[in-house]
Parts: sequence; structure tokens; C-alpha cells
Amino acid sequence: MGFLAPLWLLAGAAAAVPLLIHLMRRRAGLRIDFPAVRYLVRAEREHSRDLRLRNLLLMILRVAAVLLITLAAAHPIVRMAGGGHARTALAVVLDNSLSTSAVVGGRPVLQQLQSRAREILRRTSASDRVWLVTADGVVHGGGRDAVLDAAAHTEPFGGAGDLRAATSRAAGLARAAALPAKEVVVLTDGQAASWQNPLSLGDVPLHAYLPAALAPANHAVIAVRAIPTRWTPRGAVRARFLASDSATYRITLEGRTLARGIAARDEEIVLRAEPPERGWNAGTVELEPDELRGDDVRHFAVWVGPAPAVSLHPLAGPFARSALDALVQSGRASIGNEIAFAPADEATKLPALLLAPADPVKLGAANRALERLGIPWRFGAAVRGESVVRAADSTRALDGVTVLTRYALSRVAGAPGGDRVDTLATAGGAPWIVAGPRYVLVASPLAPPATTFPLHASFVPWLDDMLSQYLSGEGGAPREVAPGEQLARPANVDALELPEGGEMTLSSDALTAPSRAGAYFYLRGTTRVGALVVNPEPAESELARLTPQALAVRLGTRASNVFTDSTALTASVLTAAPQRPLLAPLLLIAALTLLAETLITSPARKRAA
Amino acid sequence: MDTARATRADLLDPATIAALGRIEVTARWIVDGFLSGLHRSPRKGFSVEFAEHRPYQAGDEPRHVDWKLAARMDRWAVKQYEEETNLRATVVLDVSRSMAWSGAAARLTKLAYAERLAAAIALLFLRQRDAVGLVRFDDVVRSSVPPRVRTGQWVRLVAALEEPGSGLASHAASALEAAGRLIARRGMVVLISDLLMDPESVVMTVRGLRNAGHQVVVMHVLDPAELDLPQSSEALFVDPESGVEVAATVADVRAAYQATVREAIVEWRRALSAYGASYEPVITDAPFGVALRRAFSARQEAP
Repeated sequence: MGFLAPLWLLAGAAAAVPLLIHLMRRRAGLRIDFPAVRYLVRAEREHSRDLRLRNLLLMILRVAAVLLITLAAAHPIVRMAGGGHARTALAVVLDNSLSTSAVVGGRPVLQQLQSRAREILRRTSASDRVWLVTADGVVHGGGRDAVLDAAAHTEPFGGAGDLRAATSRAAGLARAAALPAKEVVVLTDGQAASWQNPLSLGDVPLHAYLPAALAPANHAVIAVRAIPTRWTPRGAVRARFLASDSATYRITLEGRTLARGIAARDEEIVLRAEPPERGWNAGTVELEPDELRGDDVRHFAVWVGPAPAVSLHPLAGPFARSALDALVQSGRASIGNEIAFAPADEATKLPALLLAPADPVKLGAANRALERLGIPWRFGAAVRGESVVRAADSTRALDGVTVLTRYALSRVAGAPGGDRVDTLATAGGAPWIVAGPRYVLVASPLAPPATTFPLHASFVPWLDDMLSQYLSGEGGAPREVAPGEQLARPANVDALELPEGGEMTLSSDALTAPSRAGAYFYLRGTTRVGALVVNPEPAESELARLTPQALAVRLGTRASNVFTDSTALTASVLTAAPQRPLLAPLLLIAALTLLAETLITSPARKRAA
Repeated sequence: MDTARATRADLLDPATIAALGRIEVTARWIVDGFLSGLHRSPRKGFSVEFAEHRPYQAGDEPRHVDWKLAARMDRWAVKQYEEETNLRATVVLDVSRSMAWSGAAARLTKLAYAERLAAAIALLFLRQRDAVGLVRFDDVVRSSVPPRVRTGQWVRLVAALEEPGSGLASHAASALEAAGRLIARRGMVVLISDLLMDPESVVMTVRGLRNAGHQVVVMHVLDPAELDLPQSSEALFVDPESGVEVAATVADVRAAYQATVREAIVEWRRALSAYGASYEPVITDAPFGVALRRAFSARQEAP
């Protein structure tokens, strides 16, 4: 039983009034002289039992009448058996994560879950409110037929999605509906990776279903990385697999097979290549198909181009020359006039890797050169004293590098290109290496009296990174994300080129990663300027399922509410009995009670009249 | 006819009559009204020894009219004879505190009603040449007027009725015994009381009176509120004589109380009738004529 206006129950205290009257009735203060008291005494003596019974009955009737009226005022509602189910807010969570696309028993798990969803939704009535929430966070509402249609046409998601968030969302929808009954039904494959942490839905009843069949064995490509991220033009592909046995793989670039082979269990393969393609290219690492096709292919993107041709100024120092020679010898760079590597005061064009001048008297010339080249930075006063270098990007290992002499870098407000600058490293908390369109600026000369950086092991890879990432061709490393992940739109990007062709215009600063795995390219005009690689989370390939009991624990519900049998599931949902108001029956009973009280007292009243 | 009935004092509201004058006056009106309503003169024995004249009243037989006197004095009178004084009656009046009570301000107290009723009865007897006396009692016999028929008896009776009383108890038995002693030969005793006393001693005394050959009439004076209960919700009812207190909810006990009063009346009637005594409940809002008629009926049956 529930109450729509429970505060009225406080008025039930009024039931104490007839009770107190009954208890205190013999304490009346009015004195009446009455000679025939002997008759009164005799009447009470001879009729005491009847009088007590009558008074008790009257008190019970009066107390009952007050309680019934109070109860009626509180608008009680009770669940009544029969007559269908109560009006219910039903939110069905349909797990359409990648793992549900695994084929079990001849058909995808998702199809089983869809069938369960439709069975449940068909049991709803027009007075119910229904929603379908999928693992990728999409909510379908708008009536039973629309939700049924959505359940039938739900596609597998490319990644794991967020089932916990979807379930919480479903509970929130059901809770917000002003209906007497609320239920959440979770239809999932019970993948352990999806339900790692317990969930709390509060007071919303939850039922869950997971297939009884065991999860199939699965092999998958769980990691692919192009190293380096820009090939000039040589590079390598590193891949790792999830397999219970050896697996046959194929590596492609722009649809062209680069290699085939057999990888042993848990083996990491590295394929070196020098492809003829140039610019941004899409590649895949593929395994032979199994029950879960979605993770048999993993995508990567790599920029391929010629080794940057670098013109090294003699005043850049011997350490710069040694590092460049090492890159040239490894084919990562060449000697040419494409990129200048010089002290700032000697620079005449971009792209350029610019160093602070070794002689402080050349600072003025250096700043004039920076102004002439449109670089929004200026050298300031020399700062002497040892300070530790911190890389802004943790992937660049500059830890341990110290700076002895540097020039304070100050940014010129309002300079062209000032909105696209990166501080790559700091020394003593101040910018030390900064970068922008087609330039990299170091606030110290690359010499041991000024910094230990040239002597550091990270110097050559850093130089390679600067030449390939910032100073040659289109900048930027490919961004690898999971399907549906939220990310910011890169600056100066107009559209996203889709794997199947065509493009999607990007209008807002926020971007949701596509739900389908693949290599997508950022476009500026018609030029590829970056890549967005969408691959499922590696954990999604772990198909191990929870037991019903374990799933019940994760869902914060009783084990009896987790079903592997579809019939039991369907029978357990929408069982809330319809609620009926008790106002009218209570008022009727109260009226009958008062009528009975009147009938008992009316003879006395009539005689009194 | 209707006009005549409306002006008869014995049929008016007792309180209205009482407000018009003292006992002496109102008793005359009541008796006059009562006698005028009779179709036949109640008097007997007009033939033995002339005693006095009295004014002619409607209903007197024409043969008793003293025509000579009518011719000489131009007024009608009837002759009365000593033979009519064969009855000796005593009115025994309860003047205890319980009698000095009325359930409503507009009603006479039981004592006021009883005094007027006693006076009327006495006057009625005197008019019939019956000797009538009076005994007033509460816890003791307060006053006693022996039965006489002579002139001046009426004045003595009225004076006795106006004496104070209101004791804290009613000892009717001793009063009845005193009344019996006042009547030398067989006669009539009229007890006017609210009978708020133990019946046993009263009944035993009545039995003694009856054994002595006396006619006994008991007029049980009841206020209407004693038949029902005073209008109230919760109250503490106090007996003015004994001081006994009883708390009661009127609505709850009213039915039981009414039944008890009815039972008490039945018990009085049964007990008194068993010894040949007349018992008549008299309600204080009933016209005096009703009570007089009952007393008159008893007189007719008297020896």
C-alpha cells in the first residue's frame, strides 16, 4: 500500500479524541442536583454490562471512523491482483557492444537479445512508457511501436560502449516517469569486461538476461602501431594478437597486402616496410574470420613521405651535426634545403628548427629574424643557472635534461600564427622549446655549456620527431580512439574523410568518434592533414562471461532477478499489480461506521429530544 | 363548551395556576373548576341533620335547593347535613428536601405542586363535609392537624401547609402511623410523596393501615425530569438529601434509567396494590384536575 498524500496520516492522531473522551467521560465537572439519584445508581448497577459494551462499541466505532477518514484523506493506493499490470515505466537496456556480434549457435548474440527485447516490449500496453537504451548511449523512446522498431533495427556497435552508463541512464528515465511501477531490464551477453564495477540503481527494480551458452573462443588483433608515426618513407608496423593458438595474419596498406604470416600465440609481430605510397595512408592488420568478426581487423594510419631534407647551419654546433648525420645514415633525413636547422639570427626562411644564438650580442638580430619570419616569440634576457627540463608531452622522454643557460622566451601578443603554438618543453617552469606552424624554437644553443640536451640519449629521436612531425609535410600524429569516444576537433580541420568514401563535415568543436572501426582522415579542403583511427577497445575481445550470480552482484540486484531463460525473464517483467485508490471504499466504510454509531445512539437522542 | 373547559382552573398548567395566588386561593379555584366539571354531584347524605347552607353549584340536585331561602335572599343555596361528615381523611405530605426540586425553572417543584394538590384535596373533602387533617413530614413529623370538619379547619390546614420543612430524609412510615392515629375510626389516608425512600417500611405501614380498615391512597409525585433525565451530556448527579454523587453520561444511561424508573413505578404499584392501597403517579406538569380526579375516585370507593 502506498499513499499519495501521506502527511494526512498525521491527522490520525485525532483518533485519540474519542479515546480520551471515553477514558475521561466519568470526570465531568458539571454538578446537577437530582433527587432521583437512587434510580440512576440502580440503573447503572443493573445495566452496567450493557452500558460498558455499548460505550466500548461506540468508542471503537468513533475511533474507527476517525481513522478511516484520515486514511482516506491520505489517498491510499494498493496493488490489486488480476487485471493486467500496473502502469509501468520500462527501460530496456540492449547490449549492442561489439562482443554481442559474436555468432553463437548460428546467429549473433545481439539477435537473441533483440528477440528478448521485443518479447518484453510486446507485453507492454499503451498506458506504459517504454525506452530502449543501447550500450552506445543511444536512447529510443516515443511509444511502444517505435521502440519495438528500434529494437529490431539496432546494429552492433563498433566498440564496448558503456553498459553501466546506459543502465544508469535507463534507471534515471524510469525513475523520472510519474508512473506507479518502474522497471529496468538489462539484456546483455554478460561479458565480464563490461561489468567490472558494481552498479547502484537505487529503488528501481532491475531484471537481467544473459544467454546460457558459453562464450565462443576468440582471436583478435588487440594492438597495432605504426612506428614511427611518420614513415620517411621507411617504417614498421607492430601488432599484437589475442589467440589461443597460432593465427594467420595479413597486413595491408591502402588495400595492398604488405605481408602475410602466422603469429604464434601471444607473439608480437613487427613488419618493416618502405611503401611507395605517399601522404596519409590507411592500413589494417587482419586475422582470419572467427565468431567475432569485429575484432579480427584492426586499423592504423601512417603518414609516408620522403626523408626531410635538412640544411644545417654551421653555427648550429657539432652536436646538431652529429645527430643529423645519424638521421641521414638511418634514412630518416637527408641533406637538402627543405628545412633549415640554424641559430635564429641566421634563419631566413621556414620551415626551420631555430636555436638561440650562442653569443648574446646576436639576440637583437635573432629577434629581428623571428619577426621577419612571422614567429610570435622573442628572446629575452639570459637566464643562468641549472634548471630541469620538463616535456609537455609525456611521450617525449626529456627527463634528466638540464639547462644551464637559456633566454627567456616571451610571446608577442597579436602576432600572426600566435593562436597555434605548442610549448613542447619547459625549463624552470618557463617555455624552453616551443613550436608552431613550420617552426621549432629552442631557447638555448645546443651546446654543453648551455644544456645537457645534446648529450642526452633522447636528443636524436627528438630531432627526428621534430623534423618529421613539425617541419615536414602535414603535421600531427594519428589519433587512435575507441568508437563513440568524445574528442575535440583539431584546429583548421574542415571535414572527416570516411573509410568507405565520402566525407563528413565537422562543424562543432566537439567530435564523437564514429561507431564503426576504421581509419578516418581529417581534411583541410581536399588535403588529408591528420588521421583518426577508430578501433575497438582491446578488452572487448575478451569474451569471458560472468555467471548469473556474479552479474547480479555487479548489477546490485538479487540473483533471482538474473535470468538465462527467456520464458522466466518474460514472466518476471511487468508483474507489478495495478494500483487502485482506496478513497471511495474507505469513505464508504467510514460512512457505514458513522451510520452504525448513529443507530446505536439515536434511540437515546430521540428520547432526549 | 370549549370556553368553559379553557377557564377551568383544574385543567390549567399547574405553574400558571400557582402564579396567580397563594395556596388558599388557588386551591379554591382548582376545586371549583373540578366540581363544575362533574356531571353529577358527588355528594351523598343530604337527609339527616341540617348543618349549613352552601352556594348552589352546577350539578347539585334541585331537590336539595333551599327554595325558601332562594325566594327570600334571591340567591340559590343548597342545604347540607351532618350526615355527610362520616369520612375522616388525613393528607400525609412529604416535605423533605428531595421534594423541593424541579427539573425546569418553568415548572413547580414537587413540593409546591404537592402542597397545592393537598390543599385542593383537603378543600374537596371539606366541601363534602368530610373531616380532613394534615400530617407533614420529612425525617420527622413536622406538623400535624387532626381531621375536623368544622369551620376554620381550612384555615388551619392552609397555615400548616405554609410551614417550612425540607429535612434530609423521608420517613413516611412514621408519618403514616401518625396519620392512622389521628383517625379514630375507619377513614382515609392520602400520602403525597416522591417516594424516594425504601419501600419496605412504607408498604408495611400501609398494610397496617389497611388492616385497620383505612382506605390508603398513595400519590407518587414525579417531576418529568425524573421520568427521563435532565438534559446534559456529562454530569455529576448529586442527591440533595443523601449527598450521594453519581457521574454519568446522560445519552448513555438514559434508556437504562427510564427502564429503571418504570420498574420502580411498577414495583410500587404492585406492592401497594397487594394490600388494597391505591397508587397513582402524578407528574408535576399535569393539571391538578387529573390528580384530583384520581383522589376523588378513591374517595368514591371509601366507606
